[in-house]
Amino acid sequence: MMKASKLRLLLLAIFAFGLLFITACSSDSEESSTNSNSNSDSSDEENEDRMAIDVFVPTFTTEPPTDSSPVWQALEDYTNTDLTIEWAPNSNLEDKFNITLSSGDLPHVMYVPGKSPSFISAVEDGAFWELGPYLDDYPNLSQANEIILNNSSINGKIFGIYRSRDLGRNGVIIRKDWLENLGLEEPKTIDDFYNMLKAFTEEDPDGNGQDDTYGLVVSKYEGPWDVMQTWFGVPNKWGIDDDGNLYPWFLDDNYKDALDFFKKLYDEGLVNEDFAVMDPAQWSDPVVAGEAGVQVNVLDEGHRIQEKIIDAEPENEDPITVIKAVEGPFGMKNLPTSGYSGMLSISTTAVKDEEELKKVLSFLDKMNDEEAQILAENGIEGRHFEIEDGEYVSLVKDDAGLLAEMDGLNQLLMYIPEPLSLTPDTSELRQLEEDLKLENEDIVVANPAEPYISDVYAKKGQQMDNIILDARIQYIVGQIDESGLEEAVELWRSSGGDDYIEEINQLHKEAQ
Amino acid sequence: MDSVVVKQPRKKSKWAKMGKEKWLYLMVLPGLIYFIVFKYFPMWGVLIAFQDYSPFRGLLGSNWVGFEHFQYFFSNPDFLRLLRNTFILALYDLVFFFPAPIILALLLNEIRISFYKRAIQTFVYVPHFMSWVIIASISYVFLTTSGGVVNELLEGLLGEKINFLSSPDWFRPMIIGQIIWKETGWGTVIFLAALASVDQEQYEAAIVDGAGRFRRLWHVTLPALRSTIVILLILRLGNFLDTGFQQIYLMSNSLNRSVADVFDTYVYFVGITEGAFSYSTAVGLFKSVVGIVLIVGADRLAKKLGQGGLF
Repeated sequence: MMKASKLRLLLLAIFAFGLLFITACSSDSEESSTNSNSNSDSSDEENEDRMAIDVFVPTFTTEPPTDSSPVWQALEDYTNTDLTIEWAPNSNLEDKFNITLSSGDLPHVMYVPGKSPSFISAVEDGAFWELGPYLDDYPNLSQANEIILNNSSINGKIFGIYRSRDLGRNGVIIRKDWLENLGLEEPKTIDDFYNMLKAFTEEDPDGNGQDDTYGLVVSKYEGPWDVMQTWFGVPNKWGIDDDGNLYPWFLDDNYKDALDFFKKLYDEGLVNEDFAVMDPAQWSDPVVAGEAGVQVNVLDEGHRIQEKIIDAEPENEDPITVIKAVEGPFGMKNLPTSGYSGMLSISTTAVKDEEELKKVLSFLDKMNDEEAQILAENGIEGRHFEIEDGEYVSLVKDDAGLLAEMDGLNQLLMYIPEPLSLTPDTSELRQLEEDLKLENEDIVVANPAEPYISDVYAKKGQQMDNIILDARIQYIVGQIDESGLEEAVELWRSSGGDDYIEEINQLHKEAQ
Repeated sequence: MDSVVVKQPRKKSKWAKMGKEKWLYLMVLPGLIYFIVFKYFPMWGVLIAFQDYSPFRGLLGSNWVGFEHFQYFFSNPDFLRLLRNTFILALYDLVFFFPAPIILALLLNEIRISFYKRAIQTFVYVPHFMSWVIIASISYVFLTTSGGVVNELLEGLLGEKINFLSSPDWFRPMIIGQIIWKETGWGTVIFLAALASVDQEQYEAAIVDGAGRFRRLWHVTLPALRSTIVILLILRLGNFLDTGFQQIYLMSNSLNRSVADVFDTYVYFVGITEGAFSYSTAVGLFKSVVGIVLIVGADRLAKKLGQGGLF
């Protein structure tokens, strides 16, 4: 009896699973079959001399466009190509990228998230074309920014076309309504910043009579500490001493001051207690929910938070303001973003000869034209957007189906020399964000070692970084003291750090 | 000539026997193909542990470096830390988690009301089907010091909070706790099946002999489970160093990394994020060798102690 019931249960479970499996598969195959149909429709009839180009780019949505999308087809027509796009979910992009690399079966155009060791070793093995010598032949690509090209290069050689982004995106997002409630000004110096956090924590900025707020919200993502220590004069990755030698940022004298400031914030409860374990996906929630008053993040998060607050409490019309940084002992300094978000590289396995290379390059060049930028970013006029009184009005906001026809195609854009797609009439806050990004370019601290590729770092970089970054967090929460910090630096040195310093200095001397 | 003549009929009967059971052999075939294609064929991949592998030069074109990666690994200061963390977690798992399904199965077996029993069985299976991502999120919501239910309760009762999520001391208990919560119910399946096959007459005989519940449990139920327990234990030892990558990866952070770094996460960081394919394969191969040694050792030991064993 018992045995039979057991068996029945098991069978039931298996059956349920099988059912799930089958439904999952069938919806999949349905989708792919419609894809292939439309594919053959569009490509067979129209043009046979179109070059087929496979592209690997990230997607931020779960439903990226398929080649039945009219925008996709318009892009194909404009660039005279037959596009196949392999979408890699952004959340596990690095994995997908490395796995594609290791398979050896590369698409024509491959998105490269950064100068990771695996990319560099692939370059050394000749997996990608060196593009430097060809760029001058193309109207858009020839206008690429020299500084960003240098940043994205491997010891000066270009192996991918960077996707341009602002250099100065970092900033501080503040609850403006809280400042007003407490009669505070926007902070100008680090002391002001501290006083603001203190007031946000202790003086009931939301006026509900309860002690339920705190100053700064930080998540597991360690970017905010990097930005804030720059205010104290800590260099960006590498500093230069009086003799012209490079040294890593955590050996800078000012680092200790920055750390003690962070520790003070933590000890006094001005920062969320659980920051070291908080999921970065929930990072902005406390600001939206009125629990935290300040976030150090990219400036454009400001208007996203603002929109969410207004959605929840429509009477709170202007709850957010942004500033670029606060003044420290060495004046106003900020940490730059790298100026690009990944590169588009051309593989030698799929693109066999120079003639094909030139075709792929002219495809990439065309993607920088105004028409292509508008297609990929805004869609088709009349379908995805309209021009009313000279103003751009998007039609896809509330229509998921229309949005899915284009959402993500802008991952193919490089914005060289500049973004030409249409932007909506901006709100005051968005305009402020854009202005601050430009102002930031004057105060960002450059990394003198940005183009150098270190073998030691390629091999052990991740573990070496972890030693230092973990020690920083451990010091802030009081798990280790000063001697613990010194031990971490010693461990870093003995785990390859000394060789790394030597190697970078060597490369630096050669480059001078 | 003679010997050939003698051999012939014997061979024939073997083939005849196979022919008679040809449907059985045919049914084995898919399984066999599965193992060859998906388990044996990829084993060639371990060769890259002895190479300086580069995907573009391929398996045949890459340089051979012998045991270089192993030497580097064993002389690396990380090695001892990884070994310690992995071993302690595995031991905790064996001591605290392994008996849990057995105990639960015995408890379930004592329930007399069949509807009640079946309902409980179904409920305890459910956590098994949740992904680790979800369990990590649930843990965060419950255990965080900023408004987590558990810490609110602790603060009310003891007046202080415990930082389960970031304290190195609490990392291992938390991991084992999660495993117990997720897998105990599912683990009872095999034991309950074994219990179902116990001859009811033995219980009746024991009752006649005046045995109480615990006597029956000790003298009838447990001996019936013994061989199942031993086999599962041996199989578990084969995966001794598998600590469950996803779970550890999700629960580790900068404050508990000193105890959370295990072989599985190390292979991921070094192999997938840094692209050191050969080196991480060497680490993985080392893990497998330890697994084989343990599984064979445990099997021998079980046989010595008079149990069936595996092979």
